Amino acid sequence: MKKFAKQIVEKDNVATCVADVNAGDEVYVKINGQELAYKANAEIPFGHKIAVKNIKTGEFLYKYGEAIGKATQDIAVGDWVHTHNVVDHYEVV
Amino acid sequence: MEFLGYTRPDGQVGARNIVAIIPTVGCVNAVALNIEKLIKGTRAFTHHQGCLHPPQDTETVTRTLINLGKNPNVAAVLVVGLGCEMVDFDRVVEGIKESGKPVQAVRVHDLGGMLETINKGAQLAADMVLEASKLRRTKQGLDKLRFCTKCGSSDTTSGLSSNLVVGEVCRLMTENGGTFVQGEVCDIMGGEYALKNLCVDPAEGDKIINFVKDLYDRGTAVGADVRGSQMTSGNVAGGLTTLIEKAMGANAKGQNVPIQSALEYGSRPMCAGRHIMATPGHGFENLTGGAASGAQLILFTTGRGAPNGHPCIPTVKLCGNSKTNVTMQSHIDVDVASVIEETETVEQAGKRLYEYAVAVASGTLTKAEILNFDGHMEILIKGPVM
Repeated sequence: MKKFAKQIVEKDNVATCVADVNAGDEVYVKINGQELAYKANAEIPFGHKIAVKNIKTGEFLYKYGEAIGKATQDIAVGDWVHTHNVVDHYEVV
Repeated sequence: MEFLGYTRPDGQVGARNIVAIIPTVGCVNAVALNIEKLIKGTRAFTHHQGCLHPPQDTETVTRTLINLGKNPNVAAVLVVGLGCEMVDFDRVVEGIKESGKPVQAVRVHDLGGMLETINKGAQLAADMVLEASKLRRTKQGLDKLRFCTKCGSSDTTSGLSSNLVVGEVCRLMTENGGTFVQGEVCDIMGGEYALKNLCVDPAEGDKIINFVKDLYDRGTAVGADVRGSQMTSGNVAGGLTTLIEKAMGANAKGQNVPIQSALEYGSRPMCAGRHIMATPGHGFENLTGGAASGAQLILFTTGRGAPNGHPCIPTVKLCGNSKTNVTMQSHIDVDVASVIEETETVEQAGKRLYEYAVAVASGTLTKAEILNFDGHMEILIKGPVM
């Protein structure tokens, strides 16, 4: 069965896997009527994110079209994206 | 598309036709519940507030009770008081009367006890039920619809399916001139700036920022960092990386629809379109805030299966988790797992949900109503309780 990840809007550089993904698996993303495949570089559990664009250290992660965090290291397409390579930039004023 | 509803004297249109029994203080809940049991067609809006509050909370409770009475699902109201409560009984009665609907009032100290008040109140309620039953649903425009929303017992699927589907309904219904009320300040936390950017008036955006700051400060006052309790270890294990990410998943219930105003808890929006109310995430107070806004129903997203409804407004439960849609089938009204499974787009599912919600507004019963899983509610207070 095809393994899918949800990319909410085109601007997003991550998509959320809706299946447990093994390293080397093809992960499919449907966006704007197109279906694209990304090769997972690592094991990515259900509900966790895969990079669909390259993200450099210090650049923002986008999901829902909004910046949801900042990369703490270079992230390549297909990488698992989570707390080990992202930091929260939120502050209560 | 149109819906069938009950026209009220103030022009609002109801999706239900209930006679509400509204206690001005929790001390008389037993009276309200007994009348509800005796008289068909009544609903008791029991709560535990109304006394020993700081003035701000007394004002919130009073405003909420009045606006619950004004909700268009309510055909007529019996206000039940004790006689010594902090909430101004007469103000509640007169406030609801502004809507033009029938309002009757009984007070336990005046009538000399519970049994006498039940006797008198039940007779008044029975008369109002008879009159309400003579009303008929008529065709109404979709601009008369007001929906509120909440997510509860959420999981990974909430931010990827059900919340997005509700967001599509928000877009569709506001395009049709309807009104949409969103809240849950704890869930907004982290996403308040994104909401501020959607506000048509920057001053309203500042209010949303302050809703979050108020919650944060109240947490700090008791030695808690509420950011920590919002972002749980379970969230992280489930794949959420940051508080902003979690907030954006919750905010998605309104998509990127412009925000017209920021509303205090239990108040009514002054215009159509999307609004943000300072409701907590806790369901009992949250749904009451939405009901007080004048919404006919609530679009309630869930991942693991939140069963609760509300006595004033039907709750349409929608779920994107295919397992929950089976295990909690008796509680879920609309299955949107299709969005996760890529067999339906968010746009298609949104249209389907909108049509279902319009049917509920026209009389289709929700699971929570059928199961009588909708008897309990609460009103938000910030305390201290004295």
